[in-house]
Amino acid sequence: MTRKADMLAAEHALGLLTGDELREAVARVEADPAFAAEVARWRGRLAPLHEEVEAVAPPTALWNRIAAVADHATPANDNVARLQRRLTMWRAASGGMAALAASLAIMLLSQPRSVQSPPGPQVEAGSRAPMVAMLGDQRAMRVVASWDPNSKQLVLAVASDMPADPAHTHQLWVIPADGKPRSIGMMPPSKQMHMRLADALAALFQQGATIAISVEPRGGSPTGSPTGPVVASGALRTA
Amino acid sequence: MDQAVNVRAAARDELSALLRGVVARDAAALKGLYQRTSGKLYGICLRLLGDEAEAQDVLQEVYVTVWSKAALFDPSRASPITWLAALARNRAIDRLRSRSASAARNRENLDAAIDVPDDRPSSFDVLEQAEDSLRLHRCLEELEEKARTVIRAAFFEGATYPQLAQAEGLPLPTIKSRIRRGLLQLRGCLER
Repeated sequence: MTRKADMLAAEHALGLLTGDELREAVARVEADPAFAAEVARWRGRLAPLHEEVEAVAPPTALWNRIAAVADHATPANDNVARLQRRLTMWRAASGGMAALAASLAIMLLSQPRSVQSPPGPQVEAGSRAPMVAMLGDQRAMRVVASWDPNSKQLVLAVASDMPADPAHTHQLWVIPADGKPRSIGMMPPSKQMHMRLADALAALFQQGATIAISVEPRGGSPTGSPTGPVVASGALRTA
Repeated sequence: MDQAVNVRAAARDELSALLRGVVARDAAALKGLYQRTSGKLYGICLRLLGDEAEAQDVLQEVYVTVWSKAALFDPSRASPITWLAALARNRAIDRLRSRSASAARNRENLDAAIDVPDDRPSSFDVLEQAEDSLRLHRCLEELEEKARTVIRAAFFEGATYPQLAQAEGLPLPTIKSRIRRGLLQLRGCLER
């Protein structure tokens, strides 16, 4: 690193810079790891000065503010208190969930047939009943999945947020009688998901098949099977 | 002495463990970390900002950042308290810079800052390695007083070059070269 860059790192660590020099240093921290490391080294060199700063107890109410914001900012999957609140809410609303499942089934039944579907098999397929899976864990019901075998449409309604963080994604699986999970896709961040499945996948949606959601690295499971914890699952039943 | 070293090492290990807990989204770990470090970090924010409400806002921001970004902590680069203190200082300085027209007030603070006494070598309520601390203080002592004073004002009050120039009544280039010379000498001494 040049002598000038070196000095810029020291000045930035100390917070001396303004204007164009500050902008240059900020951009360089982003773009140049060696420069960023030098800024960090300078902060480390000067850090012992913090010993001279006297500790002052912040007001007790501040912790409550922080706890509330942290709880809201990042749902924690081990935050039992939060899940218990959810569970209470869910119990209070359990009638509502059944109604939601029913209305989803009705919505599926009353949906206009896809224009791509040939008219022949549709009439025949019309006899197959829609199915519903209620996906939950030990604590709360989370997602209602409705499956219409005729149009091969899967509709998911998220009833309560699942623990998530930006580094991970929720992946949806179907586990048929052979016990081997097949990926359906990634859950979108929205509260509803509507997808039409390919025939091979649709064939797995039989009575008793399990629908599950697992936490996976961004982009989905690298192995093709669930690698992270299952946050919700449920069996497919005739609605 | 060995005992003091052990106490510091234990404190560091404890904070490291709490940070790992925070990474694992353990809310109790965040609370433990807050209980052990908020006094120090609030002191840092308060000293830089000189305003309780603002210092509390920044402190809240710091712990919420820790909650979501504790994974960025690299124990090979810094001790936990150094990392947290640097985070608090940076956030407080950001806040300081974003303040609108309060130049007069800043100047007032600065005039007081320049008089910061620099002869308090040991208020070791400290979690940090005493060795590093002694070396830094010894090296600061070696600087010319003029350089030491402005470097300390920059560190403790978050003063910028233009603010220091104004407070000292000197042209900007003079202040810059004074500080740069001081920083180079400081690094030379620390690396000896």
